[in-house]
Amino acid sequence: MKNIWYTLLIGICFAQTSCEDFVEVDVPDNKIVSETVFGSDETANSAVTGIYNELFKADFSNGGLRSVSLLGGLSADEFWTTALNDELLEFGENEIMAENSYNLPLWSSAYNIIYMCNAVMDGLERYDGVSSTMKLRLLGETAFVRAFVYFYLVNLYGELPLILSPDYRTNALASRSDAQVIYESIISDLETAISNLGDSFLDGQRIRPNKYTALALLARVYLYRENWEKAEAASTQVIGNISNFDLLNNLDEVFLANSKEAIWQITPAGRSLSYTTNEGRILILTSPPPDSQKPVALTKDLIGSYADVDIRREHWIGKLDTEDEVYHYPFKYKVNSADEITEYSMVLRLAEQYLIRAEARAQLGKIPEAISDLDKIRIRANLGQLSVIAPGINRSALLDSIHLERRRELFTEWGHRWLDLKRTERASDVLGSIKTSWQPSDGLYPIPESEIDKNPNLEQNDGY
Amino acid sequence: MKNNLEYKGMLHICLLIICFLVPPPYFAHFPHGHCFKTSPNLLLPQQQQISGTVTDDYGPMPGVHVLIKGTNTGTFTNLQGEYFLLVNNTDILVFSYLGYHNRELPVLGRTTLDVQMESEVTELQEVEVNAGYYSVKEKERTGSISRVTAKEIEPQPIVSPLEALQGRMAGVEVEQGVGITGLAPTIRIRGTNSLRNDGNYPLYIVDGIPLNSTPLQSGGSLTVSTGIDPLNTLNHANIESIEVLKDADATAIYGSRGANGVILISTKKGYDKQGETSLDLSLYSGISEVSNKVKLLNTEEYLAIRRKAIENDGFTQEDVYAPELTLWDQNRYTDWQETLFGGTASMTDVNMAVSGGNGYTSYRFGGSFRAQGSVFPEDFDYKRTTANINLNHRSKDNRFKLDFSANYGVDKNRIFNGSNFINYALTAPPNAPPIYKGDGSLNWENWVVDNPLAVLEQPQDIRANNLLANMALSYTIIQGLDLKVNLGYSKLDSEDMIRYYRERYNPARWDKIDLGTAQSATNRLSWIVEPQLMYQRHWGKLGMDALIGSTFQDNRNSYLNVSSTGYANKSLMGNLSAANEVRVLGDDNTEYRYGALFGRLGLNWAGKYFLNLTGRRDGSSRFGPDRRFSNFWALGGAWIFREKRGVQENVPFWSFGKLRGSYGTTGSDQIPDYGFLDAYEATDGVGGLYPTQLYNPDYSWEVNKKLEASLQLGFINDRINLELNWYRNRSSNQLVGFPLPFITGFGSVQANLPALVQNSGWEVQTETVNIRTKNFSWRTSINVTFPDNKLLEFDNIGQTSYDNQYKVGYPLNISMVYQYDGIDPETGLYRVVDINEDGRYNSEDRQVIINRGRRYYGGLGNHLQYKGLSLQFLFEYIDQDNLRNVFGAPSPGRYGNGPVDFLNTWQEPGDNAHIQKLSQSSAARTAFSRAASSSYGMEDAAFLRLKNVSLSYNLPKAVLQQIKISAMSVYVRAQNLLTITPYQGLDPQGGRSSVPPLRTITCGIQLNL
Repeated sequence: MKNIWYTLLIGICFAQTSCEDFVEVDVPDNKIVSETVFGSDETANSAVTGIYNELFKADFSNGGLRSVSLLGGLSADEFWTTALNDELLEFGENEIMAENSYNLPLWSSAYNIIYMCNAVMDGLERYDGVSSTMKLRLLGETAFVRAFVYFYLVNLYGELPLILSPDYRTNALASRSDAQVIYESIISDLETAISNLGDSFLDGQRIRPNKYTALALLARVYLYRENWEKAEAASTQVIGNISNFDLLNNLDEVFLANSKEAIWQITPAGRSLSYTTNEGRILILTSPPPDSQKPVALTKDLIGSYADVDIRREHWIGKLDTEDEVYHYPFKYKVNSADEITEYSMVLRLAEQYLIRAEARAQLGKIPEAISDLDKIRIRANLGQLSVIAPGINRSALLDSIHLERRRELFTEWGHRWLDLKRTERASDVLGSIKTSWQPSDGLYPIPESEIDKNPNLEQNDGY
Repeated sequence: MKNNLEYKGMLHICLLIICFLVPPPYFAHFPHGHCFKTSPNLLLPQQQQISGTVTDDYGPMPGVHVLIKGTNTGTFTNLQGEYFLLVNNTDILVFSYLGYHNRELPVLGRTTLDVQMESEVTELQEVEVNAGYYSVKEKERTGSISRVTAKEIEPQPIVSPLEALQGRMAGVEVEQGVGITGLAPTIRIRGTNSLRNDGNYPLYIVDGIPLNSTPLQSGGSLTVSTGIDPLNTLNHANIESIEVLKDADATAIYGSRGANGVILISTKKGYDKQGETSLDLSLYSGISEVSNKVKLLNTEEYLAIRRKAIENDGFTQEDVYAPELTLWDQNRYTDWQETLFGGTASMTDVNMAVSGGNGYTSYRFGGSFRAQGSVFPEDFDYKRTTANINLNHRSKDNRFKLDFSANYGVDKNRIFNGSNFINYALTAPPNAPPIYKGDGSLNWENWVVDNPLAVLEQPQDIRANNLLANMALSYTIIQGLDLKVNLGYSKLDSEDMIRYYRERYNPARWDKIDLGTAQSATNRLSWIVEPQLMYQRHWGKLGMDALIGSTFQDNRNSYLNVSSTGYANKSLMGNLSAANEVRVLGDDNTEYRYGALFGRLGLNWAGKYFLNLTGRRDGSSRFGPDRRFSNFWALGGAWIFREKRGVQENVPFWSFGKLRGSYGTTGSDQIPDYGFLDAYEATDGVGGLYPTQLYNPDYSWEVNKKLEASLQLGFINDRINLELNWYRNRSSNQLVGFPLPFITGFGSVQANLPALVQNSGWEVQTETVNIRTKNFSWRTSINVTFPDNKLLEFDNIGQTSYDNQYKVGYPLNISMVYQYDGIDPETGLYRVVDINEDGRYNSEDRQVIINRGRRYYGGLGNHLQYKGLSLQFLFEYIDQDNLRNVFGAPSPGRYGNGPVDFLNTWQEPGDNAHIQKLSQSSAARTAFSRAASSSYGMEDAAFLRLKNVSLSYNLPKAVLQQIKISAMSVYVRAQNLLTITPYQGLDPQGGRSSVPPLRTITCGIQLNL
């Protein structure tokens, strides 16, 4: 009798001790712990590849309905909403509600990419399995991406929480920093990238930034900060790198994968279904609107800005005739749907560098040099050279032509028009005259309401 | 074992008691000699006359059927309750009467045999209630356990067994908010404990096997919010009982998994019928339709409103985009609700079971098939097939026992992937273009949005199959000491596929459309081993019941999500090898391990005082390495302070009284696996890795402390039973997906919160036998619950992301909204108050707190019986608010239909209207949406629903015996027959934009051969 009790007791105690081991589980096969990720060059490199892959998924950068390109185009005067879509309508009318459900993903996806950059930087510092050359390069690349994302955030939302570490405990309650502080961080990140990165693209793919990619963005940052000398200097370095970059004469080839005009592109390798770029999928109209999948078309205003001889109108703008109306759509990307990927989504390209340098030089009073940069773009578009038609053009007229050229050249790419109107303080003049609901405070999007709800230290922008 | 002799004496007494109390099938287990030693001429095989009087508490009973067992010979008692019959000495007489227990008594040479029949009702207190690892008598339980049995479950034409609990139990909220078959109902036992939405599932245990209660993920837009119910494949006709464990005493033995209550489902067992085999057959079919539609504007009214809005805004028709006025037929009218969800669904359900056994082995084999249509256009349906086996065996010496049960179910649910479908029905303009063209194909012309029926061309198929097998082996080592091992295995495979047909798109785009599918597969595999040791002993008046055991459980879940495109042909869709491109969108494999040591010590003194101590030490792999183990315990007690049951005239008014109380702790580990791991996963794009979550290695168990006090009273021989419970559950150390602003990279992180949530409440439950005469009986059960949910503490809530979601001192289910300020007499638009007068409307102004939970709820069940005719019906009542219906529509005057309320809008200053001015301006839209999130945004959604009615007729046995059928009944049953509510929207429970619950009427027949 007693023996039975003892045996059973021992049995149960044994069961309990083995419990401790029993509840250990292995890391599942679809996860890799950070320690392993940053334990070798190969996996650490994959973590950075992941960032570029995710840029194609992230709402703000994927060229889709909630991307900077589309929403920025609506906020400016490039797109109008052809389908019933209140969220887009609010962007189009510059009457965005803080609860707008397209605004949140625009914001959150950008900060998600920033988290990924911060996590890689943190992982590279915390574990030391990565070789020093690889570490240098990866730190440079993530610094570049982070600077790039902040550039858009600060231009869309103004003051921002500046998040530079992956620690959610401190980040959750971050308050907004001055735009000045954000720009200092952007410039510092870009300088890190410039010093860490090499001269050439990896594997012939323009997906991962090199030194010139960082310089190209730096040139734009200085232009926005009105630091004309530095903008000129940085863009000159990029333009001067003729082995890497060139303006393509055939407009139909500009947006091809790894085109020589590309300074940085996002690959749609992680696409779903048989679409390639979202720009091609969403913007190319194939049937008469309204179509909830393809809810925007180009404005008459934009179409009207082209001279008849301008071949960009023929090559980069598509047309859909219906019984009642003619719809225009961007046709920079030609592929609406395909099994093979021939186009990448363009982020930075050489034409913009010429326009940056032209504007910086015009501001610095270097009129002939500015004209010569601008003419590079005009010639390709089959427009007359300013050096021939108007060599004596004054500075302000020249600046006007540069801005017009930016509009016609860079339309529907990454919100150029929206950001240009704001930085040159023409938004109220231009948009106020065509949109009845325009108010000066509309230049900044609202901080998403749920973010303010979740972080008591976040303040809303004026006007919302 | 010194007092062996005394023990044996007591055993005999116990056996004797059991002989009289326990239903007859068990009676036969005991050799005759034990009970009736005194019979002199036991074995003489001679015919003799036997007579006697059959009585119950009220005197002689006429019409009682007296049958010689195993023959067709029998008689009925006369008006004086007497019977006369010619019998053999060895015969056994069976006395049966509806609503009373059958009694089987051997003749044993007697010439008179008077019989006292026992009503099934008085037995209530003697019922054995399943408490999981052990069972207790209803009378003696120390914990809070509610129970429904096959009697209540069977008469309901439902899919998920949980729906059977609706309205029947105090403290249990079950909501099948949406009228789409197969979706998981929401179930809350004693309120919402966790701030985490997916942290409030109770623990499901089917025949001893824990079943993952998390609904199955499903990608379709109709199914994505609630998920698919994992219990669908369990045939509810095969369920013997469902017990719900609520308080600490009952749940602490489930430790970390008991915080949200435990639902124990027991399937039917085979009945030992002395070598006889019986066949149960039931068949029913019926129809369903949605239980409600809302009143919308007709074409004339709608167009008038649109014109007025345009006029109010100072425009003309040409200035604005208004296809209803310019493009579409001005006289066409379509009732979109009727078109989109106005169909009638038919259903058929067949159930069969064979059971039997001999003295040592009994079995039950069963199978069922169910087919159910949908209320949507085209062919969508639900089909289910189940099979089950139940085997029970015990050895000759009664020391070894084996119970085996296996339940297998396959179901197939075909719906469609239509987001917004209901919204469409409510807001599509009544003169929108026709759906079909003359040739029967979808019309796309002039639609400004997709043709609403286009979504039907993206059908979604959900298939699941589920095997649950359980084996319990027990061996009596010595008298009173049993070793038991419980082995369980469960496997649930579910597949979900959405096909995107070309017809789903506008024909203008067909050449660009690639046929594609979205598919996912979920596999859940789990095993459990639970060795246990049970010990029972009596020392005089002291009884002891002890249990110690441990649990080893392993769960493996995998989820694969794939999209494929480029099928050459419709019929190939879904076969991945025929796709041009297949992409893996998600491939998750998780493993969850759980180990525990648990014990129970139950003591009772003289059957009056009961003490129950339970404890559990748990380890779970869901926590970081240093946080895996935790202890839980509970103490429960009961005191039966009055127990007086009389016979016949000598009935005291107050017959039963019991006080009960318990206190203890339980926990919850219902959090995602691996939340503590700092890990990367593969990106969709080639060769990339990315972090998919924020990680926190430090979170640990949340603790739920439960306190309960209860008073149970019985009156008039327990014909009136009353139970009053008060409970208070406090959850601290809340484990949540802590919402974070997205600036941290993600929207949440797994963490413990310094929050204390209290659920307290009163539960009242009564069971009464209102009338009980020879031919007529009427029983009523009522339950009412007054829940009170409150966030008691939350340190520094102002510094967290919860600041705008919760308020200390208020329930969790609240909305913080603007103060509504009526309609502006100048502009005619809704106004809300800018509390801090800063000119902005934001969270700082949303200071009005609205409770969105139930204020109180209850159920009223009645069971009437007249001879063979039986009527059961159940009302459910819930007092609550829901979102105001008018705010579900586009703001008045804009594109899109609205409720008839829009006919009475503000026209000019001085108007006292409830709806703002007709206008399309953005100011009007903003005002409308602000009013929607104001104190005016909710309306009264209390409702009384006739949840279930069942009318059945048992054919008289005398008739049936001629055709060799032992029982047969025919019935009509209905679900959601009637709802009384002031709520204006589709359904007071589901709200304004979900498919209302279906109203179902079925007829059926039940046979027992």
